[in-house]
Amino acid sequence: MMKHILAVLLVLVLAVPAMAQNGPLRLTITDGVIEPITFAAPNFEAENAQAQQVASDLSRLVVQDLAGTGLFREVPATAFISQVSSFAQPVAFADWRAINAQALIVGAVAVNGQQLTVKFRLYDVFSGQELGDGLQFAGTVAGWRRMGHKVADAVYSRITGEGGYFDSRVVFVSESGPKDNRLKRLAIMDFDGANLQFLTDSSAIVLAPRFSPNGDRVLYTSFESGFPRINVLNVANVGRQQLQTAPGEMAFSPRFSRDGRQVIYSLSNGGNTDIYRTDLSSGQNVRLTSAPSIETAPSFSPDGSQIVFESDRSGTQQLYIMGANGGEPRRISFGDGRYGTPVWSPRGDLVAFTKQNAGRFHIGVMRTDGSEERLLTSSFLDEGPSWSPNGRVIMFSRETQGVAGSSTMYSVDISGRNLKAVPVQGGASDPSWGPLQP
Amino acid sequence: MRTPGTTVSAMGHLGLIGWLIVGWGFNAEPLEFSETSITVVSGEEFDQMTAARTPEPGTADPTAPVQPVVDVTPPEPPAEEEPAEATLPPDPVEPPAEDTPPPPAPTPPPVADVTDIAPDEPLVPVTPPPAPDLPVVNDDPTPQQADVVSSELVEPAQPDTPIDDVPREEVIPDESETAEEVIVEEPPAAPPPTTTEIVIEDETPSGAVETSLRPVTRPSRPQPPAPEPEEETEVADAEPVTPTEQDTSEDEVAAALAAALAADTPADAPAAAVGPPLTGSERDSFRIAVNSCWNVDPGSVAARVTVEVGFSLDREGKVQGDVRMVSSDGDPSATSTAFEAARRAILRCQSGGYQLPADKYEQWKDVVITFDPSGMRLR
Repeated sequence: MMKHILAVLLVLVLAVPAMAQNGPLRLTITDGVIEPITFAAPNFEAENAQAQQVASDLSRLVVQDLAGTGLFREVPATAFISQVSSFAQPVAFADWRAINAQALIVGAVAVNGQQLTVKFRLYDVFSGQELGDGLQFAGTVAGWRRMGHKVADAVYSRITGEGGYFDSRVVFVSESGPKDNRLKRLAIMDFDGANLQFLTDSSAIVLAPRFSPNGDRVLYTSFESGFPRINVLNVANVGRQQLQTAPGEMAFSPRFSRDGRQVIYSLSNGGNTDIYRTDLSSGQNVRLTSAPSIETAPSFSPDGSQIVFESDRSGTQQLYIMGANGGEPRRISFGDGRYGTPVWSPRGDLVAFTKQNAGRFHIGVMRTDGSEERLLTSSFLDEGPSWSPNGRVIMFSRETQGVAGSSTMYSVDISGRNLKAVPVQGGASDPSWGPLQP
Repeated sequence: MRTPGTTVSAMGHLGLIGWLIVGWGFNAEPLEFSETSITVVSGEEFDQMTAARTPEPGTADPTAPVQPVVDVTPPEPPAEEEPAEATLPPDPVEPPAEDTPPPPAPTPPPVADVTDIAPDEPLVPVTPPPAPDLPVVNDDPTPQQADVVSSELVEPAQPDTPIDDVPREEVIPDESETAEEVIVEEPPAAPPPTTTEIVIEDETPSGAVETSLRPVTRPSRPQPPAPEPEEETEVADAEPVTPTEQDTSEDEVAAALAAALAADTPADAPAAAVGPPLTGSERDSFRIAVNSCWNVDPGSVAARVTVEVGFSLDREGKVQGDVRMVSSDGDPSATSTAFEAARRAILRCQSGGYQLPADKYEQWKDVVITFDPSGMRLR
């Protein structure tokens, strides 16, 4: 018997190397490095004199967007060996390889009156090939930032294979005044804090703004009448429409369905809070939960077939998932502490949430079956996560401790890296990240 | 009688004697000498000194001599047996089954022991077996010269035939064929030795063993001539040792080895790479070199895609031609991104060419690398 085993082992021992020698050398690599991709972005060429300033500003904005993700790192211009003086000039890849620039962005800007034209090309330096085709955008000089964000989005998308999020806006609650008499109003801005605009005044408390899927409307909760009510605000003309509820009912925590035609929200009546769905065009209401516990903070899945929400039906605040038309929910959070404000990722694979445990607040993510929970942040008070359009970054609000404490918006990569404050003048909370602009 | 010569001789002798007496003749360097102290002792003292060194008989009881330990185990074959083994290449004998007791000492050729019925149980000698009848070994290493000159050498007899004396109860030969033959036939005898030339005694090699007595590997069996039908019986007779388990196992190993090698080298396959394969450290250094340039974004969808890319290297270790996708496994939407990252890693880290052994170029001129980020995904 031993001889038979010996024969088999001998065959295996001799056959494997023999096989390895016949074909190509085969290796398996499982450990790479996690570091930013280096890129060089010489100032875009100004094709006319009027474009000089815009070309420079726009180039810097592209660099700022990319480097701000934490996934890219700019090679400074002082390290450049060759200069790009013309958009059509052949690229000397060896010069860019020598400074270890993995990607090269070359662009040109032209200004004709108020007309702004931007074109660019992206090169993979080490393969010596162009990544995708050259692109050209046209707009107004006043909208040069959006043009820069568009270029950055295209570069980001071509290198990472995922959609960008630079040409997007965020609606949030702008705060001012002391903590015991804080004034709140809705505001909207670019994702990087630029172009701040206020959508409401501070005469009434506003909470929890939520962008519509295409970014044309905003849902929010207003205490204008003394009771929380849900308003639908048109971003373009700032027109408002209130969601009808019965007297004595409190409606809050609204969110659009994926098609933007329905709204799911919490309705509190007689001490019980349940989740409802209202068709905006017909006004028809559907009650989705009927438990005696508190169900709130609903969020649709990307395909609109499911809803994740929070409930204390188990005795503590936990996360549950149910069908879009209601039904028996299943619990997905089982860790210590309390879970709230779940938001389904645009990719559909993760749920972001706020977790309170051991006196600390966290922003975390978990898979939709509750597995692989990861806490991304920790502070005195972190809450209200909102996904970037590509599902890669989470923006949330962080409030500092004490009477003089203030609220600030932060963003963090879903890897837990690149945590940074969103530059907004004054206090800001409750962000809702809108879609990429058309 | 006094003559002038006598006078002169007398005067000369007197002068010489006088010169010596005065001391002029001893005016030389003193010779080196050593001093030895001498003590004068009396005859009684000398007797006492000699008595102290010589023990008087009967004053001390001498210890009994230690009895030598008698080894009851069978004596080892004398050293003279080694040349006998050397002259006959040993055949590694497979030990019997595990429950078989240790084999007895070698016995003479199996003429008298071989029967058509396998022994039921080998007898275990209670007493040390008698010394085996060892073959007579001539102390003279000079081999016996052949008295017959032939045009071709006669191959020696099967070296392992006469020493396979281990009982093998597992082997049951086919009685219908070989039983009688084994009994009746005499053991094969080597044909008379011959030689191809007349050997002059002075030029005859000593025959003494000059190298290792025991070959490392089993010597190959001489190829028997194409047997004729009539000679098959003789061939069978010449091999009284019928196929045993050992032989069948070796045949299986050899057959399996041949099959494996044959399967790895199909006739229509490309020529195998020549030269020794890369060592583990050489493969590791290559892998590490690419590792350092493989940039993985664990938060991306591409981190869930495993890609296999192939490329060719020139003799300087630089990529020649394109890096191509061989296969992928994962989200198809992110396959392109994963491939780009892999290609970027290969091209970035080649800068001056990958450091690979030049003499093994045939081993690494074509490379396929699997980039598997499963261990780097966010968890």
